Amino acid sequence: MTRPSSWILHVDLSTGNVERTPVEAELNRSFLGGSGVGWTLVSKYLPPRVDPFSPENLISVNPGVLVGTLTPGTPKTTVITKFPTIAAEDGRHYIGESTGGSRYLGIALKRAGCHHLLITGKSPRPVYLRVRDGGADIVPADDLWGGGIEGVTNELIRREGAEAGVIAIGTAGENLVRHALTIIDKTNSLGRGGLGAVMGSKNLKAIVAIGTGEVEVARPGEFMEVSAALRNRVLEWPKRDHWIKLGLAAGWSTFKHTQYPGIWPKDRWDELYGEKTRMETVEDVIACNSCLLGCRLRWKTKGGEYDGEIGFGSPFSKSATSGMLLGVEDHRKMIHFVADANSRTGIDFYTTTRLIDFVTKMYEIGRLTKADTGGLELKREYPTYQKLYEMTVNREGFGDVLADGWIRLKREFGLDPQDYWYAGICKGVDFIYDARPSNFHPLMMTFFTRPRPHHGGSHTRTNSRNRTIEEIREQVERWGIPQEAVDRIFTEAPYTGKFNVGRYTRYMEDMMRVKNALGLCSIYTYQGLIFADDMAHLYNAATGEDLSPGDLVEHGERISNLAKLINVQEGFTRADDKVPEVWFRPMESPEGRIEMQDYYQTKVLAKEDVDRLLDDYYEERGWDPRTGQPTTERLEQLGLNE
Amino acid sequence: MNNPTGHLVVWPERCRGCQSCRLACSFAKAGVFNPARSMIVMERDVQTERTAPMIKPIGCDLCGGKPVCADACEYEALVYEPSEDKSKIVVKQWEGASA
Repeated sequence: MTRPSSWILHVDLSTGNVERTPVEAELNRSFLGGSGVGWTLVSKYLPPRVDPFSPENLISVNPGVLVGTLTPGTPKTTVITKFPTIAAEDGRHYIGESTGGSRYLGIALKRAGCHHLLITGKSPRPVYLRVRDGGADIVPADDLWGGGIEGVTNELIRREGAEAGVIAIGTAGENLVRHALTIIDKTNSLGRGGLGAVMGSKNLKAIVAIGTGEVEVARPGEFMEVSAALRNRVLEWPKRDHWIKLGLAAGWSTFKHTQYPGIWPKDRWDELYGEKTRMETVEDVIACNSCLLGCRLRWKTKGGEYDGEIGFGSPFSKSATSGMLLGVEDHRKMIHFVADANSRTGIDFYTTTRLIDFVTKMYEIGRLTKADTGGLELKREYPTYQKLYEMTVNREGFGDVLADGWIRLKREFGLDPQDYWYAGICKGVDFIYDARPSNFHPLMMTFFTRPRPHHGGSHTRTNSRNRTIEEIREQVERWGIPQEAVDRIFTEAPYTGKFNVGRYTRYMEDMMRVKNALGLCSIYTYQGLIFADDMAHLYNAATGEDLSPGDLVEHGERISNLAKLINVQEGFTRADDKVPEVWFRPMESPEGRIEMQDYYQTKVLAKEDVDRLLDDYYEERGWDPRTGQPTTERLEQLGLNE
Repeated sequence: MNNPTGHLVVWPERCRGCQSCRLACSFAKAGVFNPARSMIVMERDVQTERTAPMIKPIGCDLCGGKPVCADACEYEALVYEPSEDKSKIVVKQWEGASA
C-alpha cells in the first residue's frame, strides 16, 4: 500500500470559511509530514513582521505521523505560531513549535482526517472550533468565555462525547497575557510563550476534535512487527516499574541537584518538597495514547488548607523550584498554585512565579516602590504572591506590566532581566533549568540556539549528567550521520572537553524536528529506549517510504532551516542567541559555590568558551557564524532556496 | 482453538487510559487503528479522569484464545485467564482500590 493520504483543514475565523485540501506527495516526502509540513504552511500563509495578536497570525496544529497507531510513546501534537512573548527590546517575536502529548486530542484529529489544522483570521465573537470527520464547525462560545480550563473542557466533553480531545485556554489567554499557555485534555500543557494568548486574540476559547475514522499505515504487518519489538524493549527497561508508579514525580534524587535554586540547604528542600511529599500526593499515573510509560499524574493533596484537592499533570518540579525561590515552605500551597494555573487561568507557572520573585526582590531593595505597584506592598509571602498572580491574569494595575513579561519590566522600570538570579533569560523567556547546578549540557544550548527558547521535545540521552561517552556515542552513531561528523562531536577541545556540546546540539535539534513530526515523545529518546534507526523503521512501515536514519536527520535539518529562515525574516541574528549572563555568575548557596562547568565537569566555562561552542554549532549547521543565519549554499543543498 | 473458553478479566482501577487495548483490537479485527471498530468501549469519568475498558458482550471471540487486547495492555488492566468456565468476561476490583 502507498502512503495513506493526509489532509490540511484550513479554517479562517474571520470569514468562517473552512477548506480541506490534500497534502501534496512531494511535500510529505521533503518534510516528513506532521509538523514538518506544518512549517511549510507557516512559510506560505504567515506574512513577515505581523503582530502576534493580529488576525494575520496563524496557528498550525499538527498531530504526528505515528499518532493514533499502536506504537509506544507516539501521542504528540505540535503547534506552530508566532508567539507573543516580547523577545527583544525592539519588539520582535519569534515563531516556534511547541509539542504536547494527549490521550484524546491527537488521535481524534487523525481520526477526523485532519492531519494539519491551519487556523487564520479572528472571530468577531467568542467561539470554539469543532473538528469532525472531514470538516470543522465554528461554534459560538459566549457562554464558555470567562470559564476556567477544566470546567470548559468538562463541558465540551459533555457536549461532544467522552472521546472528544480538547485544547482550551483560561482567563489569562482571554486577557492576552503574553505567557498564557493552553492545556490539552486537562493533562498536558502546550504552547509556553503565549499560545493561549494567540488563541485569546482570535476569540478562540477551545479546539475540540471528535473524529471517528481510521488511522492507517502503509505496511501493516511490518509496522506491527517493529512496534512489537519496541514495546518489548520498553517493557524490559529496569526502571519501568518505578516510573509507572510515580511518572514525572520520579527522579527527585537527580532533580534536587540539577535544578537546585541555591537558597535552602538541600536537606531542607528534601524535607519540604522531596520524595516523601511526592509519594504522599501521587495517586497514580495517566498515560497518553499507546504509551507504556504513563508520566502524567493524578494527584491528591493530603492535609492543610487544600486537603483533598485533586488535579492532573505534573505539579512537583515546578512547585519545588518556585517554592524555594519564593520561600514557601508548605508544598501544598505551591501545588495548589500550579493546579490553579493549569486548571483555571492557563498562565505559565514558571514565568509567573519568577517574575513575582524578581519584582518582590526589586521592591525589597528599593528599585520598585508603591508608586510603581499601584500602592501594593510587595511582601515575600504567599498571600501577596496570590494577589500578584491574580493581577497578572486579569491585567489589573501593576499586573498589566507583569502580563507583558520581562522586556516590559525593563522598558517600564529599567529592570534588566539579565539581573535575575535563577536559570536565566533569553529572547524574553525564562529558562526552566539553570546551567550552573545542571552543568552545560546540550539542552542548555538549545535554549539559546533555537528560535523558541524552550526544550520543545528536544531531550536526548545527554539531559542527565555524566552519561558515559559510550552511551552518547551509541545514540549519535544510530543517527546515521557521516563518520566525520561523529568524529567532530567527540574531538577533544580545551573549551568543551571530550564531548563537543555545540556540534552535538545541531543534530539534537534536527532530531527534535523529526520526533515532533512523527509525534514521538522525547522521554523514550531521553531514556535510550528508541533510537533514530527505530524511528526510520516505524516511519517507513507507516508511510511506505524507505528512509535511512541519516535521511531522517537530513529532513530534520531541512525543517530546522525553514524554521530558522522564517525567524531570520523577523530580524533574528546571532546577537539574539545570547547566553544568559547569570550562568557566568557563581551561585552562592548554603551548599557552597556552584559554577557552570562543562558536561563532564572538568572546568568552569567562561563566556569565550561558550562563544567557541556557538561558533562550532553554526559551523556544524553550515551557517554563517558571524550572523548566525543559514547560508545560500546550505539552503540550496536542502532545496530551500525558493 | 476455535471456541475458546476463558476469562478476560478486567481490573478497572489499573487502567491508565492509553487505549492500547482498543487499538490492538481494531487492528486485529479490521487491519486499521480505530477504537470505534474494537470490541472495547472505554468508560471515562470526567471528574477524576479515571478510565475503564468495558468489553462488548457480543462480538468478542477472545481472538481464538489469545486476546490481543490483554496482550497490548501493559498496565495489566486486561488479563486473560484460560478456563473451562463459559462466562467470558469477569470484572474484578483491584485489591488496592479504595472503597
